[in-house]
Amino acid sequence: MSRPDTDRGYRGYIGSRPLRGHRVPQHVQNLVIRDYARRHGLRFLLSATEYAMPGCYLMLDDVLAGLDRLDGVIAYSLFMLPRRPPRRAAIYRRVLDCGRVLHFAVEGIVIAGAADVPAVEDMMRIDAAVAGGTTDIRGLG
Amino acid sequence: MSWSFHDPDEQALSRRFLAAGYVVLPVEDLGALERIRALLVERTCAWLDCAPPAEPQGFLDHIHQRVEPADLNALRVALIGALNAASWARPAYYALARRALTVLVGNELAMQRRLNLSIQLPGDAGSLLPLHADVWAGDSPFELVLWVPLVDCRATKSMFLLPPAANARLGAALHSFAGRTVEDVYRSVEPDLEWLEVRYGQVLVFNQTLAHGNRVNQEPETRWSLNARFKGVFTPYADKKLGEFFEPITLRAASRIGLDYRLPGGFDE
Repeated sequence: MSRPDTDRGYRGYIGSRPLRGHRVPQHVQNLVIRDYARRHGLRFLLSATEYAMPGCYLMLDDVLAGLDRLDGVIAYSLFMLPRRPPRRAAIYRRVLDCGRVLHFAVEGIVIAGAADVPAVEDMMRIDAAVAGGTTDIRGLG
Repeated sequence: MSWSFHDPDEQALSRRFLAAGYVVLPVEDLGALERIRALLVERTCAWLDCAPPAEPQGFLDHIHQRVEPADLNALRVALIGALNAASWARPAYYALARRALTVLVGNELAMQRRLNLSIQLPGDAGSLLPLHADVWAGDSPFELVLWVPLVDCRATKSMFLLPPAANARLGAALHSFAGRTVEDVYRSVEPDLEWLEVRYGQVLVFNQTLAHGNRVNQEPETRWSLNARFKGVFTPYADKKLGEFFEPITLRAASRIGLDYRLPGGFDE
């Protein structure tokens, strides 16, 4: 993983765990992110790869800790985010509080301001509910 | 008297490897190493549009006098492309440690399909590999890494490895770093890290389930090193799969027979 100190850009974020029951090779995740960055005129910085351990977001935490040196993050997919809503909320806050942008390449979704969050959260919660109660469905009410 | 299926020297090598998590050994085919280095030097000269050097190691050691950090990745990508386009390069790389890999991994191997090249200029923070274990990011625990320097490497010009006992303690505590950074993890194990000294003409084979990485190169010379992963072809794969990441390189006759064999069919109950 490359970490320029000065040159800003968008850090890729890919995973090594199955995503919604499917596995996408890491180099394919990177291709999707590179293509997304190219189409949107974003400078792509080599991706951080999330660890394989279930529930582990150490690499995402590490990327967020370096946001001051980035323009933002391009994650492969929205559904790589933690399953617990408060944990996701903390991620959105960290990104938005320092004026950065969070992109999701597969879905083509951008969180650039607080107004972008509710739609993303709706999708996350519905997906979890449809997948079989992996979230607190009371949150849908 | 106890009996073993392994030769005494094989047992000794395995014991050393398991105890330390790595071994540094002389290159088994120096000619192969020289061919690999010559290709990279030649392509670097072509990229820089400069004359071939009289002394390759000094040329590589001091490449930071010719290449700016901003241009480094373009050079690295060009060299990786050239190296992997050479059909002889991966067999040559395997030849650097064929016997050691046979002892430590097995004689039916899968090899990473692309050789990786790392170039670390002095003082450059742009090409760092923070503390990690490959197995955390989708590699199988059945893989070992063959790491080959093209220059003499020591201290921060080299890489660090967390010895097995300290690594076991880190594994037990890793979850407690949730919400913190990899730098925090590094600080917690820094006193235990071992910086590996590997000279040109030697190879390093290490256990990639142990935490490892590098820091900003504080030495006055540039690091050049290659790496590739090897595993038993029939051992479990993780996220780095056969085909897209690994390729069988030393299938044996019995396995070929087994892969092709079908029991005679056509019988009715």
